[in-house]
Amino acid sequence: MSKLKVAVFKFSSCDGCQLQFLNLEEELLQLTEVVDFALFYEARSSVEPGPYDISFVEGSISTPHEVELINNVRRESKIVVAIGACATSGGIQALRNWANLDEFKSYVYPRPEWIEVLKNAEPPSKFIKVDYEIRGCPVSKEQLLSFILQYMRGKIPTLPVSPLCIECKVAGNVCVLVVSGTPCLGPITMGGCGAICPSYGRGCYGCYGPAVDPQAPAMNRLFKELDLKPKDIQLLFKQFVNWAKGFKEVVEEYE
Amino acid sequence: MSITGLYVSRLDALPKIFTELQRLNYTVVGYKVVNNVLRLDRLNTFEEVATGVEDVQNPGRYYLIPGNFHRHGPDSPKNFLYPPRLPLFEVSPEWGVVVKDYSKDLRLAFFGIKSCDLTSIKVLDRVVSDVDETYVSIRGNSVIVVENCTQPGNTCFCNTMGAGPRARDSFDIAYTRLGSKLVVEAGSDLGLKIINRLAVEPIDDSTYSEFESVMTKAALKARANFETENLPELLELRLESNAYKEVVKRCLGCANCNLVCPTCFCFDVLDVLRIDGSAERVRVWDGCLNYTYAQVAGGHFRPDLWARYRHFILHKFTYWIKQFGTFGCVGCGRCITWCPAGIDIRDSLLRVLKGGVI
Ligand code: SF4
Ligand code: SF4
Ligand code: SF4
Ligand code: SF4
Repeated sequence: MSKLKVAVFKFSSCDGCQLQFLNLEEELLQLTEVVDFALFYEARSSVEPGPYDISFVEGSISTPHEVELINNVRRESKIVVAIGACATSGGIQALRNWANLDEFKSYVYPRPEWIEVLKNAEPPSKFIKVDYEIRGCPVSKEQLLSFILQYMRGKIPTLPVSPLCIECKVAGNVCVLVVSGTPCLGPITMGGCGAICPSYGRGCYGCYGPAVDPQAPAMNRLFKELDLKPKDIQLLFKQFVNWAKGFKEVVEEYE
Repeated sequence: MSITGLYVSRLDALPKIFTELQRLNYTVVGYKVVNNVLRLDRLNTFEEVATGVEDVQNPGRYYLIPGNFHRHGPDSPKNFLYPPRLPLFEVSPEWGVVVKDYSKDLRLAFFGIKSCDLTSIKVLDRVVSDVDETYVSIRGNSVIVVENCTQPGNTCFCNTMGAGPRARDSFDIAYTRLGSKLVVEAGSDLGLKIINRLAVEPIDDSTYSEFESVMTKAALKARANFETENLPELLELRLESNAYKEVVKRCLGCANCNLVCPTCFCFDVLDVLRIDGSAERVRVWDGCLNYTYAQVAGGHFRPDLWARYRHFILHKFTYWIKQFGTFGCVGCGRCITWCPAGIDIRDSLLRVLKGGVI
């Protein structure tokens, strides 16, 4: 069997998602026997030109230059897989979509007029066709591996599709909302992390993004009933996936 | 059915029943307090059994206070008989298939579970016995020591569903705590054998009338505001009720109701692939409130949340009767307590029955 030719691209992001490939430590060497990481700047300096079987894309699209690059990626790839909160929803960078861009630029850069950015940080799917999304901030390395293994064996890759609460119960946790009124975004968040936060008695922060059919208005309503301050409710939704379906609308309500 | 009638002993007979079960090589499973919540768990000693606490359960809220009677927590016997995550078989890199065998080693004794829990096992017996070998083997080796509920809680409505608070059949031993006395009865030869090793006497008149009055009062407390007579038909007549749409304005679509329900049996099947070429097929809990549950190739049976919630209600109270000859609800109240939004299935039914208004 010829090796799967894989590229790992980075856009506006922190590199944490692609790092998850390297965090596969134990499986990594075995993985390289079947996968050729043809382009992976974080791991190797040599680059093989496309086309690629799979391109994993990390980060949001936030500059005109990135729009050009992401279109190139699409052209060079059989399938494009968006990985992480930034590449699936705009991520942390999208927080700036809610603020005054010129003001930001003037704080950060000595010559703000040289900075050419898009009005909003957006997920790649806004510009190109994305075939699969792997969620999380960062993504789970198990899901990256599982995706590749499924694809290699000719199976249509399946990824988690249930709200986090199901994983939370399967993990044997007690619901933090019910026992302590701790705000938890689990009901409207996609599973996949194994309910890490509720397993430690904290509410889910929503980093895996919206569930398939997120009932964000009902979640918002519940938080209001828990007597949370409007600002605090907004901050719950205005985190990793503030620009995502469902979350965005609630953030807007409190702007 | 009780095969002995009622006997009286003292409270200290309980630890004896416990150790007797262990002596017979059973792993005892009962309610213990973990982080201020009653959890159904394996117990090594009788001292681990929850004591001195009462669970306060209300829609979307749960906590413990000092008290002398506890009911249950988010877990139910389902967690052991129909586990949340069950590896079904292993596939080796050479495509050899090894089916998991759960028939050995698992001898479970449920100790101090409540009548609703017992009834939920009876319901599962009807639902999955023909199709789930794992269930059959674990269940076949299990023993049930049930406690009659003298103090039903705020979310309990087992009496309405004919599931409690007193256990009538299908147990090995049923017991009732009355002050320092313990009322016991055996429902099987094994139960009888154990009771024979205790210091018991036939129940006396005054204890009997105390028992009757406590259980009658408990039964009145464990009732909902609706009756089950013609309930399946009435619900079907109100299929188009607007009440479902009203109720789900609060619903998060999280499926916690399905997961904590002791009779919900729906599942998903996942394949876990490993880098060495091996794989595992796993069964995990799922539920009808989850959007993707009724999604199939080419479409979706219930894309709207209200339709999913309606299905939950109709399955429990209408379709289950047609499918399995019993209600799918035992009135344990778990779906009420453990719904983060505090949606109360009793209210939902009332709303539907009364045409959308309560
Ligand atoms: S703790 Fe959060 S994720 Fe877990 S069941 Fe409760 S709401 Fe859902
Ligand atoms: S529902 Fe009935 S049997 Fe179950 S805990 Fe409540 S009173 Fe006891
Ligand atoms: S539907 Fe609710 S009350 Fe009825 S058995 Fe299930 S969890 Fe208990
Ligand atoms: S537990 Fe409550 S909020 Fe969650 S799906 Fe069930 S009814 Fe809706």
